[in-house]
Amino acid sequence: MRAAAALALLALALVACDSAPKVAFADASITLPDDPLDLPEGPGRDAVLENCTACHSPSTMLQQPKVSREKWESIVGKMRTLYKAPVDEAAVPAIVDYMVHVQEARPAS
Amino acid sequence: MSEGRLTRRTLIAGAGTTALAAPLLAQKVIDLGLPGGPGLRPLDPQFPGKGEMIVQRIRPPLLEAPMAVFRDGVITPNDRHFVRWNWDMPTSVKASDHRVAVGGAVAKPVSLTLDEIAAAGEHVSIVAVNQCAGNGRGLSEPRVTGTQWGNGAMACAKWTGVRLRDVLATAGVAEGAKRVRFAGLDVPLTEGAPQFIKSLPLDIAMRDDVLVAWAMNDEPLPILHGFPLRIVVPGWFSTYWVKMLATIEVLTGEDDSYYVADSYRLPAQPVTPADKDFATVPVTTIPPRAFITSHADGDTVAKGKPLVLEGIAFGGNAPLARVDLVGKSWEVPCTLGPDEGRYAFRRWTVTLPNASGDLTGIGARAADTQGAVQPETLAWNPSGYARNVIERITLRAQ
Repeated sequence: MRAAAALALLALALVACDSAPKVAFADASITLPDDPLDLPEGPGRDAVLENCTACHSPSTMLQQPKVSREKWESIVGKMRTLYKAPVDEAAVPAIVDYMVHVQEARPAS
Repeated sequence: MSEGRLTRRTLIAGAGTTALAAPLLAQKVIDLGLPGGPGLRPLDPQFPGKGEMIVQRIRPPLLEAPMAVFRDGVITPNDRHFVRWNWDMPTSVKASDHRVAVGGAVAKPVSLTLDEIAAAGEHVSIVAVNQCAGNGRGLSEPRVTGTQWGNGAMACAKWTGVRLRDVLATAGVAEGAKRVRFAGLDVPLTEGAPQFIKSLPLDIAMRDDVLVAWAMNDEPLPILHGFPLRIVVPGWFSTYWVKMLATIEVLTGEDDSYYVADSYRLPAQPVTPADKDFATVPVTTIPPRAFITSHADGDTVAKGKPLVLEGIAFGGNAPLARVDLVGKSWEVPCTLGPDEGRYAFRRWTVTLPNASGDLTGIGARAADTQGAVQPETLAWNPSGYARNVIERITLRAQ
């Protein structure tokens, strides 16, 4: 009886050894690169810097395909209502103006 | 597709091109050839632990692999694996402090240390493709808004961890469980914004090959890839592969959270850009894809000589069955390389005996064992998800 229990324990230990070799978890950290906030000149640029780039790099906006003013209004609206971005309502037209301007000024490719 | 559109060449500023936009003049850039542009992307700044990557966004990080990464082998090195965060993630994680809470519809909620996770069951490794649901979005025609990826938001790695079901067993899944939801340490900056949480149906969560993983390619997960733990769901898009796993929640009903109920969704039926208010279904499984990696669009090849083309393919959720090289009115079967697992990249090669025919718009076409074949035309959808149209290039024989 005792031998059987000891064997069972041994078997358990072996299973444990087999199934769970030690994994060493070390701490991890990273220093992310600075964001140079490259934004071309244009009307409303300050409104974008004040309201948009605290949460994300400008590239998110600058890389978008050319879309309508209404689409930019809808995107800024989504940032405010869904993502709760603290965008000043009074600044929305300037932000939209800027994006429309930047897309129109962009060389066609 | 017009000739030259898909050109992917690393351009050095001043190296005889006039196509560079002014803000990028000082940087090394790559042209993703997105229809209508803008397609130029910087290859810097470099991120710690990463090699040369296409920097789609610095904050929160979005890094894409240049297609040259896929020229050799089936395993993508960790330093070239794409990076995608919806929200900022912590830049420091102390291993001994990290806990994974398992709760919701369970017999006994638990809070597990990393050692307890590692002891939860057998250690399992699986080679699987990790692909962003939006991979290739920037190539959509008509274009759609969102992260403007080329095709490099994909990678293949060996993932090691324990089965999710073994972790769930430490708490005991209760009767009536329907879904299992995951949350990581990445949280919105703004109060009230939706956290990036995702859930799987219970039958998927309990699968033999769905993991809570701590290693990729035998290295600890780097922070950018979800240290200390991430969910791995082979065959499903990476939106479900929640990183920096901190919470596992068993649900007894549907998941009405934003990133499941309102985002990452596809039209239930084909739509056009004019359609509005259509029914949607979640993006789930990865469909088959193939890519030519030996040549880029616009490359010149030796006329009259044998032409060897190579590339990668994957079946996605189902095993890869075959790859064919397709032209305008011809197709040639390709030879598949070694099978590294049903969810892995697989190499293919084909030799055209005489490179003098029509090499306009050639592409590799993958088919899976369930009969899914890459389509000739894009299944357009307004969010640019699950792209798997045949990717074509044009070569010039001279």
